[in-house]
Amino acid sequence: MTRVRVTAPRSAARPAESREAAEESAVGQVFVRSLIRSQLRLALVVAAGFLLILGAFPLLAAIPGLAESRIAGIPFDWLLLGAGIYPVTGISAWLYIRSAARNEARYRDLAEDR
Amino acid sequence: MNPAIGIAAIAAVSAATAVIGFYGLRISRTTGDFYVASRTVRPWWNASAIGGEYLSAASFLGVAGLILLSGTDALWFPVGYTAGYLMLLLFVAAPLRRSGAYTIPDFTEARLDSRAVRRVTSLAVVIVGWLYIVPQLHGAALTIRITTGLPAWVGSTAVVVVVCLSVVAGGMRSITFVQAFQYWLKLTALAVPLVFIVLGLTDSSSPAIASAAANPTGLAPAGPYQNISLLVALLFGTLGLPHVLVRFYTNPDGQSARRTTLIVLGLLSVFYLFPTAYGLAGRMFAPGLAQAGQADALVLLLPGHLIGGTAGELLSALVVAGAFAAFLSTTSGLVVSLAGVISQDVLGGSVRGFRLAALISAAVPLGLSFMSDSLALAGSVGLVFAFTASTICPVLLLGIWWRGLTDVGAIAGMVTGGLLCGGAMVAGTALGAAGTPFWLAQPAAWTVPAAFAVMVLTSRATKTRVPRTITKVMTRLHTPERPLATER
Repeated sequence: MTRVRVTAPRSAARPAESREAAEESAVGQVFVRSLIRSQLRLALVVAAGFLLILGAFPLLAAIPGLAESRIAGIPFDWLLLGAGIYPVTGISAWLYIRSAARNEARYRDLAEDR
Repeated sequence: MNPAIGIAAIAAVSAATAVIGFYGLRISRTTGDFYVASRTVRPWWNASAIGGEYLSAASFLGVAGLILLSGTDALWFPVGYTAGYLMLLLFVAAPLRRSGAYTIPDFTEARLDSRAVRRVTSLAVVIVGWLYIVPQLHGAALTIRITTGLPAWVGSTAVVVVVCLSVVAGGMRSITFVQAFQYWLKLTALAVPLVFIVLGLTDSSSPAIASAAANPTGLAPAGPYQNISLLVALLFGTLGLPHVLVRFYTNPDGQSARRTTLIVLGLLSVFYLFPTAYGLAGRMFAPGLAQAGQADALVLLLPGHLIGGTAGELLSALVVAGAFAAFLSTTSGLVVSLAGVISQDVLGGSVRGFRLAALISAAVPLGLSFMSDSLALAGSVGLVFAFTASTICPVLLLGIWWRGLTDVGAIAGMVTGGLLCGGAMVAGTALGAAGTPFWLAQPAAWTVPAAFAVMVLTSRATKTRVPRTITKVMTRLHTPERPLATER
């Protein structure tokens, strides 16, 4: 078996030099900062919305009458906490990804129109 | 159950893992292949691999066991394990991929321009990894003891040997295929027996039904503090797990890292329905298993308990195979990421160093697992999440989103979080489950805010140390990649 000396192709991860130069200009930084702010705001809003819904679930399960009801033999509070939260997670994630990509597209338009 | 069937199931999973590992060997040739599969893995493969790696002994055995013991309170575990990925998507996935770093220490060093921060982060990563491997080995020991009657140490040793062989042989490239295969194996191993159980229960001859609300153990229900503290640990612990993060570097760009996370969320949501169903079925039809102190083995024992005969034996074998897939995949994911960190920091970053580091990363937790007793699996993994949330999570979140973070602040915060949470874990072990006050048993609710506070305040006090590269790094983290060929 022949031994081959191996190296890491790290250069692929590095963005083009021209891009760095353009984005470190004063105007470029204004766009970058506003992109970061809007992405952070988006992430915080989605997280807060999700946590609010999550916090409401046990309250919903505790509503008298509802908690004792059964769907297909499975108690309602089990169904709610055991299965009902997952669609909320998925929908939050999907909404976030769409909006985050839109923020980035807007940044790209601004940065490339200069 | 019949020991031969259990042994055959375990041998088959180990062989399949080894074969896929060796197949991967033929295409992994560079150091890049070894660490992160050269960033060319497709989202579905990658998402399956992340799912395969993430779903550990705690998810496969522990969640159902804990649901059997404590009912709806335990449902927060699968919810937190899944929602942790939402937090990871919101705050970490794309920027971390865009940082271009291979490991968490690579990231913190690049972000804060400091070797000292790198060393502290590496230490935290290694502690988290070792603490996380130990419950996997306990799960393997439990499975071997219950299903084959062999001594418990055989199980943990077998896992370590198979993991070392496949990691040393193929690195991350083959691991990606192995992990993706193991997600689907784990899902099948829980889903197929459950279908038979449900079909069997609709017969009139089903065993006596206990109420799901009945408490088989007499344990006090968890208060709101425990549930909130657990959620803090799980939501913020996931985004600092070293073996989860290293997976994101295998995406080609930030947006595909996000898409991968969305697929992972779907895969986890589907998976966790099954341990939940096992827990509920166990509570209703086999509450005796909780009293026998074998709650963590519920998933392994339930098919045989409710179905019986040859069909029950075969279904049990399938579940045992799935359980072993869980131990193998999480352990190998952790060993790969630990080996990456140890080999780069201590052994110079060569493939040879990586292999040696892989052996070290697997041997230490094996020794620890021999010295410690098996706690409830989901509970002990929950504590590891608390530790991650108190150390690695603050430095990642603040590093990605706050320009004011300094090297001194990062170190002070990680050390504070690590000491507080580690201290709570040690005190909890020393006092025993019965003697530990609730705020020590679930420390995340105060250790995580403490770590954040110390990190922010110390960074404020050392404002002059904000690295000069900050503009460049923040731009890199948050701006979208451009397609190389069509650039302007």
